[in-house]
Amino acid sequence: MNRNYLFLTLIMLVLAVGLLFFHAQNKPKQVPPDKLLWDIIQPTRYVSTDNVAKWIIEKDPSIELIDVRGADEYKAFSLPNAINVPLDSLITTSGSEYFGIPGVRVVLFANDDILSDQAWVLLRRLGFKDNYVMKGGLNRWFETIIKPQKPPESDPKTAFELYEFRKGASLYFTGAKVSTSSKVSKAKVVFKRRKKVTVASGGC
Amino acid sequence: MDLITLKNIKMGPLIPNGIITGDWNFVIAILVGIAFGFILEASGFSSSRNIVGTFYGYNFVVLRVFFTAVIVAMVGLLYFGYFGWINLSQIFILPAFWPSMLLGGVIMGFGFLMGGFCPGTSFTAISIGKIDGLVFTAGLYLGIFMFSESFPLFKDFYNSGNLGHVTLTDVTGISASWFAFAFVIIALTAFWITMLIEKKVRKKITEYKF
Repeated sequence: MNRNYLFLTLIMLVLAVGLLFFHAQNKPKQVPPDKLLWDIIQPTRYVSTDNVAKWIIEKDPSIELIDVRGADEYKAFSLPNAINVPLDSLITTSGSEYFGIPGVRVVLFANDDILSDQAWVLLRRLGFKDNYVMKGGLNRWFETIIKPQKPPESDPKTAFELYEFRKGASLYFTGAKVSTSSKVSKAKVVFKRRKKVTVASGGC
Repeated sequence: MDLITLKNIKMGPLIPNGIITGDWNFVIAILVGIAFGFILEASGFSSSRNIVGTFYGYNFVVLRVFFTAVIVAMVGLLYFGYFGWINLSQIFILPAFWPSMLLGGVIMGFGFLMGGFCPGTSFTAISIGKIDGLVFTAGLYLGIFMFSESFPLFKDFYNSGNLGHVTLTDVTGISASWFAFAFVIIALTAFWITMLIEKKVRKKITEYKF
């Protein structure tokens, strides 16, 4: 019997055994489609801007704010203590270290819901849990927290309580003084920033 | 913004991903064809005795060559896919029409055994000047002509039982690498067992020439 045959047989055997090993690594851990769909339609995956504002004010340590917009937009404006993980760097190893930390709730936000929803689905498919999307994104943030609208007189009491909270939060985030009349100039600065963000969001 | 920048990664298949143009199709076909013919001839497939020997049990070179080709391609593709050199989901998979394929396989097996060639090896036989290869090829073209002319009769059967572009992984649920592993083990076992069978059978054959 030819010794070459034995040699080739062994090579082939080693290669075949190798297949089994790398398969275990290479198989992407993915959530099954039906489960993913179920998770996507759950309204509990959204958090309101009011909740986020509350957590920031209370300095809740279990909250991790992730800004999924590009680095330029992040530099221009972002929420306090937010981490910038652009959507296209989510799947790289450098981006994924912020996710899947036990006991930490990740809140994703962008100018609106689109980018953060995409990021949410990506993260869910990668198997990370406890991710939330800030409903309405930074646009809603400006509408509700920074520049809250006074509810009409006919609204229930809870609407006014919410308005009071938002006014307080607005003062917290804009750094304005309590006096209502003198903070007009501050509010103008904020308004300019909002414009910038909306322009960028139109391009998405 | 690109969600995933896979577009920038250069990987096979070469033509669908635009790494080389479709004009290369025929060049590659000719090169692969030459290589295929060379391997067939070099493995001794131009000899009918080698080919039908599998049936009579004195020569399993056909089984060994084709199994080698299959397991090398199988394992190689899986490794290429793992290293990101080729996108396995872009590879064309022939649709499976199981009843017609089953019957076609039986007919081809009989043809193989009676004629002593398969379509490919009949051409390599001609290239080394074998008259039986020439006759076989004439019959092959006659068969193609007859089949084409009578195709409307078989049309329904020909197109029946379409399973689509399925792989064994789709049908059985066994993952590709486990399947490849099992297949390699079966093939390697077959190689050694057939060598033993050949030894035994050839002892009884007094006259043996390829």
